[in-house]
Amino acid sequence: MIAQLDLQTCGINLNEVEYVFERSLSQCLSSKLKDALKGKKIMFTRDEKNLFPVQGWGVRTSPYCMTPITTIQPIVDNTTVSASDSSTIQIAETEEGSLYAVKSGIAISIGGNTLMHFKIGPILFYLSEQTIRNSEIDHRLAKVVLVDSDIAKRMIRMRVERAIQMKLCKHLDKSIILIDGSLKSSLFEDNNQNIKNIAENCSLQQNSIIGISKNTRFKILDKISFPLTKIHCPAYLEVDLIIKSLVRNTIGDNLMVKFGNNNSPLLRADVVTPNYNKDESLGKLLGNDSIAEGYPETLRLAHHISTFTSTEVSCLKGHVLSNYDVTELAPEDIRKTLLGSIPV
Amino acid sequence: MKILSKTGNELVMLAMKTEAASKGDYLIIEDEKAKRKMVVQIYDEEYLSSQSLIEDIVKDEVVTASSTENLHDPLNISNLSKMIRDARVFRAKIRAAIDPSNKLSSDVSWLPSRVDSSVGRLKISELDLLIQRRRLFPIPIGKAGVDNEDFEIYAEDLDGKLNIITGKKESGKSHLSKILVKTLVQYGAFVIVFDLNNEYGGLAWNNDGSPSSIQEQVMVLEPGNALKFSLDYCGKAAMSNMLKNALDMPAASLREFFRIWDWLENKQMLEIRALGNAINTSNINELVRDALISRYHVIQSSRLFLDNGNADGLSFEKVISEKYKGTAIIISMGKATPVVRRMIVELVLSKIVDLLEKVMIPPIFIFAEEAHLYIRDTYWEDIVTRMRHFGIYTTFITNQPDAIGDGIYRQVDNIFLFNFTSDTDLDKISRVSLADTETIRSIVKTLPQRHCLSIGKVVCDLPIVVKIAAAEVLTLGETKKFFTRNNNR
Repeated sequence: MIAQLDLQTCGINLNEVEYVFERSLSQCLSSKLKDALKGKKIMFTRDEKNLFPVQGWGVRTSPYCMTPITTIQPIVDNTTVSASDSSTIQIAETEEGSLYAVKSGIAISIGGNTLMHFKIGPILFYLSEQTIRNSEIDHRLAKVVLVDSDIAKRMIRMRVERAIQMKLCKHLDKSIILIDGSLKSSLFEDNNQNIKNIAENCSLQQNSIIGISKNTRFKILDKISFPLTKIHCPAYLEVDLIIKSLVRNTIGDNLMVKFGNNNSPLLRADVVTPNYNKDESLGKLLGNDSIAEGYPETLRLAHHISTFTSTEVSCLKGHVLSNYDVTELAPEDIRKTLLGSIPV
Repeated sequence: MKILSKTGNELVMLAMKTEAASKGDYLIIEDEKAKRKMVVQIYDEEYLSSQSLIEDIVKDEVVTASSTENLHDPLNISNLSKMIRDARVFRAKIRAAIDPSNKLSSDVSWLPSRVDSSVGRLKISELDLLIQRRRLFPIPIGKAGVDNEDFEIYAEDLDGKLNIITGKKESGKSHLSKILVKTLVQYGAFVIVFDLNNEYGGLAWNNDGSPSSIQEQVMVLEPGNALKFSLDYCGKAAMSNMLKNALDMPAASLREFFRIWDWLENKQMLEIRALGNAINTSNINELVRDALISRYHVIQSSRLFLDNGNADGLSFEKVISEKYKGTAIIISMGKATPVVRRMIVELVLSKIVDLLEKVMIPPIFIFAEEAHLYIRDTYWEDIVTRMRHFGIYTTFITNQPDAIGDGIYRQVDNIFLFNFTSDTDLDKISRVSLADTETIRSIVKTLPQRHCLSIGKVVCDLPIVVKIAAAEVLTLGETKKFFTRNNNR
């Protein structure tokens, strides 16, 4: 009551505010939620993560549902399967720039057994105006990188990954190279080490390159791949039309794949093969890598060895403090200071 | 090492693997800005552990188990990471502070700085200087401290004191007690050992078979041989104690016994055979006679008394005057029956108290192995209270800490604690000991063989872990075994 009185004395009418809200979103904010949601299947989101219903969204009439499903037959022939992944973190900030650490992992398997893995890093990168000026990074990109640490991290990760992939595709032949993520050209790539060059080198060395994404931003893909969930063996569905219509710079064949049996997750895969035989490449992947929970083990291992542990982060900070003659300043979390200790 | 936290009188410190320290070691914390020092003792050691660290270790184990690792780590971060995984946390008890005049003080109410404090190890010799633990008669018992320094206690700290040596079987108790007995005798002390396993006879000999430095001063007395008393020497008081406490003789029978005793004494016929005849022929109630006869037979079969009144029996004052440079009187009770053991102890203690009361002998150190097996319950208090004032200074050696009553523990001056793994024993000891429960429970449980935690006056109330020195004297009393080399065919 007191609040109402106060608001009225301020001349604010709450009912009007609601109307203003509705108009601001061009009538999308439905006041009649009951009608709008009635009978809908709902999945609550968590921490902005990309989630997928366990049993799928269910059958719904979609023109893409008519796309044929192809089953994948494992081909065991001792083809080398390699996978690489990397991660970047921001370690520290200075007045002029930021210090980043990158860590990469490569895992190699043959005949279904993981043979070895390479742990590279952590390696430190310091991005400041001065260090970027001396580099070959495009000056427009450099400006963005200096103001946005997320973009800087993406750029570092992308360039390191491409360098490793280039090395792998030149070094290996007739093998499968797995990449975490889609095969898509990016602004962050180096001109000499971009995905197109990598794909080209793969063709020369007769390597297949497969980019596997654990989740996709395109909700339509989840929906149209529903028939795959009903297949009890490894299979794929071509989604070239959708992907190419939504994204300009992808390469290779775009698929929705299920690598495992029964309830294995559906993954997006971009495949570049030397002889345009994606069935063979996917079959070799199944036959020469171990697939656990519907995901290639080499890629999983590469991911695990490339992620930073909290101990490593502490060690890196210790290394910086003790080796580079720096003075540590105490940080302050402005958000926490202003909003208090109640979790927000 | 760095201070992490403080709770009560406990400090938690972080250390790297290279900063080695063991449970029981002393550390000195110097707050350089406040110019104050604190002495702490490590009582427990554990890994620095956090959920993320454990997850890292598990992840690494899984990864390296599944494939061969090749590492390119130009910043050598993995080594740092390994160091963190091996980092440890020391829990330490604050024992004292050091005042500006470099003397130990009990003012530990201040908090050392986590930033400005340096933590260093404190040698036992430095600790001794601080507590001014130096006297005239050192007893080297082994090694102690971070640098394995020679460690000695002082005979003065055992003098007039009640001591307990306890620990589980074969942890090294007898070993320490032999060192104490030997050194006390070397310093001219008079020691009586109630030797339950006939092992202290070895004090006369070195390990290599040569005579030990106290060979001339060691007397092994066995019932029936050297351990024989004349009835006259024992006297009525000692006999009364023996009959009453060891042989459970009722008061009425005791009166008759001493009536016979007086009659024989008047006739100057006080000897075993005459006593037997008198019991058989005197005019007494038949039930009393039966009671006396049964006790007489026990006395006779014990072979503790001379048959011939003219022969010389054992006389403590004579032994002490002859061996004026100190002696170890070892009373071997290994072959004696429980009743005879009790008889021996009653006779010896009664006689010694009698002699001390009359100031005929100097104070005596008594070492009693598994005393609960032969000393009656009511005697314990007498030993720790009355007899102490006469000059009987006892050291109990036992592997059953619960056999000793709480009352004794409260009177105790020094405890030498060897390894105990049983929680029941540890509970008992930690409840009544002179040190705090955490120290006892944590240190004693992990003590290796022949290591002991010394607590009490001998270490000025600063518990010290000592590695007992190797035996110089011959080890006797080992368990006879069937599966020896000779039996292997």
